[in-house]
Formats: sequence, structure tokens, C-alpha cells
Amino acid sequence: MEREEEDSVSELLRDRFRVSTISIAEAEAKRNDMEISGPVMTCIADLAFKFTEQLAKDLELFAQHAGRKTANMEDVILSAHRNEHLAALLRSFSNDLKAREPQSERKRKKSSKKEDQATTSVVHIPDS
Amino acid sequence: MEENTFEPDLVHAIFKLVWSSRALERQMIEGTDALDCEVGAGTSKKNRPTSANGNAVKLSCELLRNFVIEAVQRAATIAEAEGVSKIEATHLERVLPQLLLDF
Repeated sequence: MEREEEDSVSELLRDRFRVSTISIAEAEAKRNDMEISGPVMTCIADLAFKFTEQLAKDLELFAQHAGRKTANMEDVILSAHRNEHLAALLRSFSNDLKAREPQSERKRKKSSKKEDQATTSVVHIPDS
Repeated sequence: MEENTFEPDLVHAIFKLVWSSRALERQMIEGTDALDCEVGAGTSKKNRPTSANGNAVKLSCELLRNFVIEAVQRAATIAEAEGVSKIEATHLERVLPQLLLDF
């Protein structure tokens, strides 16, 4: 039962992810004055979803290697280190993010931590 | 184009799903010992799933957005070279190996 629940949650996330990917892909194709066929978008969405899952594993490993329990922006940049252009792009984006809200960061961190704990307890209860 | 990105909440939810299932796996591997006791302080601290801070999730969204945009743009270049105005699966197939190497 717990498995089923987990699967349905993951299905739901996958579908939501697919919708966002398709809207991004369509907008990008339009900017290039191109049409894009449905199967291609679904394919890109699934690729991106797998990429997200892999990224999650990478971030966990990087954070653990640094002795942290929380993944931060450095870990994300590190995950793109093989591609210099991509890493540079991410670094400039991260600097933007840092510059935009240095004071509210602490607040958000706290709230997201609380949220994390809430979800972990939900996940762990059926297990015991 | 800037408004068209992934929602950080969505990406965070996917991350959490992966992390919590991996935390469960770790618990399984550690043996029945960890399974017997409740999610007490000791085990939960050791096996607590990884979390991410808000900016890290936003940055991941940007990374994913770039992945999708690159896929479309590279496929569009191939389609353009072939003189068609619709991106088909074959165009994506052509660019896929290099795309996956670049990300």
C-alpha cells in the first residue's frame, strides 16, 4: 500500500513536470519559428525528469561529501562542472540570486527546514 | 522567456521523493535493527534525508530549464538544416548523444 502511494505521488509529480517541460519547449520552439511534435516534447520531458532524479542523487552525494545534510548552490554548480559554459552560467545566476535577497534567506531556510521535517515524518510513519 | 521556468516547489518535491526513498533504502541496508525502533532521535538523525536550501532549488530549476532549451534549440538547428519547420523525433535523435554528454 505504501508502495502504491509512493508510485501515485511520483506519477503525479511526473505529470506536473511534463506539463511544465512542454510549456517551456513550446515557447522555445516558437521563438525559433519552429513547430515541435508532441512525441518529441514528451521525450524531452522524460529525459529532463530522469535528469532531475540523477541531479538529486548527485546533490545528495556532494552535500554528504562536504559533511552537510543540506544541498546548497555550490553543489548544483559542481554538478555541472564538466561543462564550463554551463557552470559559468549557473554561477552568474547564483550570484544574481544571492544579490537579490541576502536578508530574507535566513527566514526561508528556516521555513523550508520545517517543511522538510514535516514530509520526512509523513514518509517514515507508514514504514515503522 | 524568463517567466517560463520550472516551479521550484515541483523540483523540490521530486528531490525530496528521491532523497526520502534513498534514506529508506539506507535504513533497510542497515538491517532490521533500524526498522525495529520507531523513528527515534538516533536513527532519524543518522538517516535523515538530505534537504536543499531555497536558492539551490531555484538554481536547479535554471539548470533544468537550460537542458530543455538546449534540447529544443539543437533539434531546431537540425530541422532547419533539413529545411522543415517541424521538429520531429529524428532531429532529437541526432542531437541526443552530444546533449547528454554536455549535461
